[in-house]
Amino acid sequence: MARKKRLYLLLQALLLSVFFPAALHAQSITVKGTVKDANGNPLQGISINVKGKSSGTSTATDGSFSLSADAGSMLEFSSVGYKTKTEKAAENISIILQETASQMADVVVVGYGTQKKSNLTGAVASIGNKDFKQQPVTNLASSIQGKLSGINVTSPSGTPGAGLLVSIRGAQNPLYVVDGIPMLSESNSALSTSFNTTGEEVGQGQNISSISDINPDDIESIEILKDASSAAIYGSRASNGVVLVTTKKGKAGKSQVGFNMYTGFQKVAKKLKFLNSTQFVNLVEEARSNDFKLYTANPDVFGAGFDATVLTDPLNYAANTGINTVWLDEVMRTAPISNYEINVKGGNDKTRFYISGGYFDQQGIVIENYFKRMNARINIDHNINDKLLIGTNISMSKSLNRRSFNDDTYSGIVTNAIGASPLMPVYDVNGNYSKFEEYQASWLSDNPVKSAREIRGTTDGYRMLGSIFAEYKISRALKFKTSWSADYASLTDKLFLSPITTDGGPIGGRATKANFLSTTWLNENILSFQKSFSKHTIGVLAGFTQQGTTSDRNALSGQGFPLGSDLSDVSVAAIITRTPVLPGGNNRLHSYLARATYDYDGKYLASFVIRADGSSRFNKGKQYGYFPSASIGWNINRESFMENNETLTALKLRASYGFTGDQEIGDYQNKPLWQPAIYNGQPGLKPKIITDPNLTWQKNKGLNVGIDFEFWNGIISGSSDYFVNTRTDLLNYVPVAGTTGFATILTNGGEVEDKGFEFNVTSRNINTKQFKWTTNFNITFQKNTLLKTPVDNQLLNAFIDLNPTHILKVGETVGSFWGIKFNGVDPQTGDATFEDLNKDGTIDDNDAQILGHARPDYFGGLTNNFRYGNFDLMIATQFSVGNKVYNLIRPVWQTLGYSNDGGLDQVYANNGITALNTWKKPGDITDIPRASFVNKNYIENSSMFVEDASFFRVRTINIGYTFSKKTLKFLNGLHIYAQVQNALLFTKYKGFDPEVSSNGGNIDRTAGVDYAAYPPARTFTFGFNLNF
Amino acid sequence: MKYIVCKIIKVLSSSPLGRLGAAFLLFTLFSCQKLDVNSPNDVPANDVFKNADGLRSAMVGLYNNMQQRDYYGAYYPLMSDLNSDVSTQGGYDIPALNDIGAHAVTTSNVYVEKIYLAIYRCIANANEILQAVDNISDPILSAEERKSIKGQTLALRGLAHFDALRMFGYHWDNVSALGIPVVLSVQKEKDIVTRSTVAQSYSAVLKDLNDADALLGESELTAQYANQLFVKGLLARVYLYQQNYESASSFAQAVIDDGTYALLEADKFSSIYSSRLTRESVFELSFDGQNQSFFNGVTYVRDDALRTEIFFLARQGMQEFFNSRPGDIRSGLMDFENNDESILPDGRTQKYRGEVLKDNPAYILRIAEMYLIAAEAKKLGGGGLDFLNTLRQARGMAALTGEDVQDEAAFLNAVLDERKAELNFEGHRFFDLARLGKINEVLGVDDTNAVFPIPQREITATNNTLIQNPGF
Repeated sequence: MARKKRLYLLLQALLLSVFFPAALHAQSITVKGTVKDANGNPLQGISINVKGKSSGTSTATDGSFSLSADAGSMLEFSSVGYKTKTEKAAENISIILQETASQMADVVVVGYGTQKKSNLTGAVASIGNKDFKQQPVTNLASSIQGKLSGINVTSPSGTPGAGLLVSIRGAQNPLYVVDGIPMLSESNSALSTSFNTTGEEVGQGQNISSISDINPDDIESIEILKDASSAAIYGSRASNGVVLVTTKKGKAGKSQVGFNMYTGFQKVAKKLKFLNSTQFVNLVEEARSNDFKLYTANPDVFGAGFDATVLTDPLNYAANTGINTVWLDEVMRTAPISNYEINVKGGNDKTRFYISGGYFDQQGIVIENYFKRMNARINIDHNINDKLLIGTNISMSKSLNRRSFNDDTYSGIVTNAIGASPLMPVYDVNGNYSKFEEYQASWLSDNPVKSAREIRGTTDGYRMLGSIFAEYKISRALKFKTSWSADYASLTDKLFLSPITTDGGPIGGRATKANFLSTTWLNENILSFQKSFSKHTIGVLAGFTQQGTTSDRNALSGQGFPLGSDLSDVSVAAIITRTPVLPGGNNRLHSYLARATYDYDGKYLASFVIRADGSSRFNKGKQYGYFPSASIGWNINRESFMENNETLTALKLRASYGFTGDQEIGDYQNKPLWQPAIYNGQPGLKPKIITDPNLTWQKNKGLNVGIDFEFWNGIISGSSDYFVNTRTDLLNYVPVAGTTGFATILTNGGEVEDKGFEFNVTSRNINTKQFKWTTNFNITFQKNTLLKTPVDNQLLNAFIDLNPTHILKVGETVGSFWGIKFNGVDPQTGDATFEDLNKDGTIDDNDAQILGHARPDYFGGLTNNFRYGNFDLMIATQFSVGNKVYNLIRPVWQTLGYSNDGGLDQVYANNGITALNTWKKPGDITDIPRASFVNKNYIENSSMFVEDASFFRVRTINIGYTFSKKTLKFLNGLHIYAQVQNALLFTKYKGFDPEVSSNGGNIDRTAGVDYAAYPPARTFTFGFNLNF
Repeated sequence: MKYIVCKIIKVLSSSPLGRLGAAFLLFTLFSCQKLDVNSPNDVPANDVFKNADGLRSAMVGLYNNMQQRDYYGAYYPLMSDLNSDVSTQGGYDIPALNDIGAHAVTTSNVYVEKIYLAIYRCIANANEILQAVDNISDPILSAEERKSIKGQTLALRGLAHFDALRMFGYHWDNVSALGIPVVLSVQKEKDIVTRSTVAQSYSAVLKDLNDADALLGESELTAQYANQLFVKGLLARVYLYQQNYESASSFAQAVIDDGTYALLEADKFSSIYSSRLTRESVFELSFDGQNQSFFNGVTYVRDDALRTEIFFLARQGMQEFFNSRPGDIRSGLMDFENNDESILPDGRTQKYRGEVLKDNPAYILRIAEMYLIAAEAKKLGGGGLDFLNTLRQARGMAALTGEDVQDEAAFLNAVLDERKAELNFEGHRFFDLARLGKINEVLGVDDTNAVFPIPQREITATNNTLIQNPGF
């Protein structure tokens, strides 16, 4: 009992100190003064802190400040880009700050707090607003594309609103945390999938990124936690790295109004060239004559009883109809893009605010397609008193997406346009869409223009991300912060195939409507402590967070719409055909986290982090995962022997080791379930999943060793890291014997290693008042290896009705391509020859082997910034080497006259101009085989179509002019610019773009397959940033 | 951790101020919310067989599983016909489809992989029901109903095992070791079942069917369900495959003699396909607008469909075949004329029309097959010709005489032709050729192609314990 009483008293004391803090003050004075730079210009926004206290302020536009401090205390004046200065408090002081190029004093956001760059012990990449504000991007991930080492951002599709693929040290799909709120980032559209002619889902198509709900204009900084030690504070969610997004905040001082806009146009960056009508018919004739020669030499070459009239009778079509449709021109266009954004920020000592609103409108380069986004943001914080700070961050967005049907799949608009016959007109003589059945390419599923216009798919989304927080300073050293936040997302998908479409025709039109709704709430409570004793600084942070997500989906399909009515909502349909049971979701996460940091004189640094996560996705006893990590750092330049080194002004060694986890498996995967079924109008139940009772967290181990350096106070600065990440107990679906009644089971098994080396350097080559030139270069080498897998040699299909395209094999890279090796074209016969691996005399599946992989061996970027007087110029480039693409659409546009049994009426598809280089006579050396009408003279799943997709891309060229303040009367600032995005591309890849990936690229096991994904645009924009 | 916090809260709650503290802790430091969640749209497996309703629901679920696209939703009968001289492939040059059409199926063929999974999914589902059916105590579950559910489940499990055997096993060779995995109990996730011999596989099938026959005696099930006459008919089919002609003929005779199901008049014959549940269907798996089958979508689609839009075309040889059969009204079910030019000279079956509702049923067992089995099993010498002629005449053809079929070989050929004319696009032809050793003779490929390969996926998933069929 006595012990209980003591505990009780202790807690009461603690609570009392939380709510009724004793206020004890020494005698204080009011300090007034100004801060200026070396040239005597007043500096705004310099932060002034009383050392050892939590009080502080910042300078106003004229550089002036005023604060109260104890007499004799020390004041610290600091700002990014200036050397920090310490001065004794006096009633009147004037300070001159020296500029510095050193970034060591920069503050970077880390999980649950901030840290000075010089104190970091983990691998954190950071990019600030200044690095991308003059370079408008449509998605926050594009702002880091090519800029940071270890991070490979690719654009798998050129579709407006499409997701970008962010891979941090080889692991895809990081956790996004916006102002402290972990954000839902997966694609939730039900139209993301592609269907074949029987309505079966054959693959993942267009990925609609919910990250695109964040307006890039609102972003202040992006930090990427790359190694396990920095990410471990996010424990279970951090296995693929963490992207911290911080939005803009208001500052005390005069209110500022900013207006930013740009407008421009986009064109497809590369247009594949196709045969014209004459070339097309010539190719077919060439194929027939080749085959006829073979037939005359050996009448059984095409099998006994082959009817040679298909080789000799005249074709039922000819090139001289005057029609020569270039289909890519018919489905593509030059499309406008524009963005408007207005923001107001300001505040006073007590309250600060940032309010913004934006409108973004991007028309797709494929006809009919567009993406529009409207958003608004309010960030406010308010000091109730010296101790208590409250605030809120709220953002809302609405997006409208007119989909390009079956985008990025083999029945999409672009895919169809690729195969279409040039002899087919878009419209017939009566002005109706011409019927594709009557023309020469049997590959088509419909007239591409008709598909684009008459299949109407839209995805409309609403998103609200909001949080409120309160931060209480219990004492000088101790702080408590609690926050409540919510992420609300709603999506409505609609798809309508009008009665004049091929699929909608026989059934009088078909419509589908699907809704998705998701709410995530999160409560975080963090207690933090920071104290210095002489040269020792200790920081401790502990917290509890809880999170819950509920989601709901439903979908309805119907058919039969009143003819000529243009009604398209599923509620009008004559028959409701399908109401599939879609998974609603529900999950919870309870987490305890703690971090301790120690710093001796800024010289020796250490940090220890542990997080325990309990997830509802696992069974009792397996729910909790523990993720510890430790890291150390040594600022060598602070040692006495280096103190006076003028060349190497900063040098830090870092090392870290830690664990993170993964539970991104979807809900309800831990218990065996039965699902609804129907027969003969009666409802019933049937088994749904088989489960592993021992299912638990995936654990990732990460080792990082790094070095940060600066020469001449930051004239050259950079860092380099070596990392080994091992993902163990991989959560994966592995095949089980079909006799269990199931195909796969979700289980822990397998191990993947990513190791690599990253290097980045920034050099201020010229830094005079008139002319500045900065170069930033980064490069990352990485290797991915599958170390263990429960089922070795598992073959995978990118699209389920294709032959296997990938293999999972121990010792190889995840996502290795699988197929038969192409040995070139026989110069004597023109036959495509292949390697008979097992030497059994026939070329078949048993001869398949690994043909490369989608991951690059190394990649990076080079960015140059120039400023001459008021002009600025930025050229950002990017490169990737060693990555390959399985170009599975090329077999369609390089069929070399193959008829697919279409007789005298149809061949398979039109061909690209590469088909002009076919083998024609013995002795020809070419990599394009002999044209052939009866049989295919190629194998789709062979290295014939695995292409080197290494590239060098000039991603952005931006030229701007800043008007000097003197010339502007009412304005505070004006910057105008013109820019080209995706300006130049150097690659051997034969498709539209080497970065594309037709299944959204999100599944790394089947990455890098091109089935004519939506091609990327080259964008030309003109814009300005205006400040009042 | 949870324990400690719980303790603290308990202690605090003993005083008013403490209660405030407890509330604070509760709200911000600790959540009493449980970490267990349940899916709103599914039922935990342990809760399914709680009572009679659960058993009934599971029975419905098993029929629904039989309707999978890869099984009787279309692909099991149509893919096997594609591997014969009945059908040829259309489609957008899909390699896996082309391979089946060329009778050169590979081990990684995605369709075969899925068919295998679909069949065993039904068997596993049946095993779940059979494990529970005798253990449910619910007063509203009558003995008859229990017997009926058990009987239907056994019948469907027997059918599924038999379908697996004729697709993946050496079903024509009673002494072969290459039967199929026979699964008679609920499996755990890592359980592996190896291949039984052909004889063992047959006996497992026959045991299920004989048990079902006994259990279904009192039930009055319609042709949408696995009724007793279907079981007898299926027994006739199994015995025929096993070359136990005596049993085959007696079961076929029994189904015919029962009289519930009978051949339609020649002028009404096509209603088998245009209408639903005619007297000819002994077991017809029903689909409807809300639960559609795939038959129409892969054989007809729409009037002016292209070759690329249709997966299963009627092979050109079928036109010559029907041209040689004067009067055969079944030739009207195969259209070689009103097609898009790209389909010609191949044609399309008309058995699965119904472009709007797409509710075409699976004709799992029809009475006509009983006449064919009786004819084949009784042979020419045992009066088989009468059965053959009954069917021929019902389909508008003249009866054959002893002149036309002078010996058993000629008679067997006549029966086989009749089977081809009657049962095309219903999934019989490939198995007929295989069981009678005519794969090479008719299809011109090696006899090792008389069976489909065990999917590579299964061999990988069972760590190579499953043995592949020779030649793959």
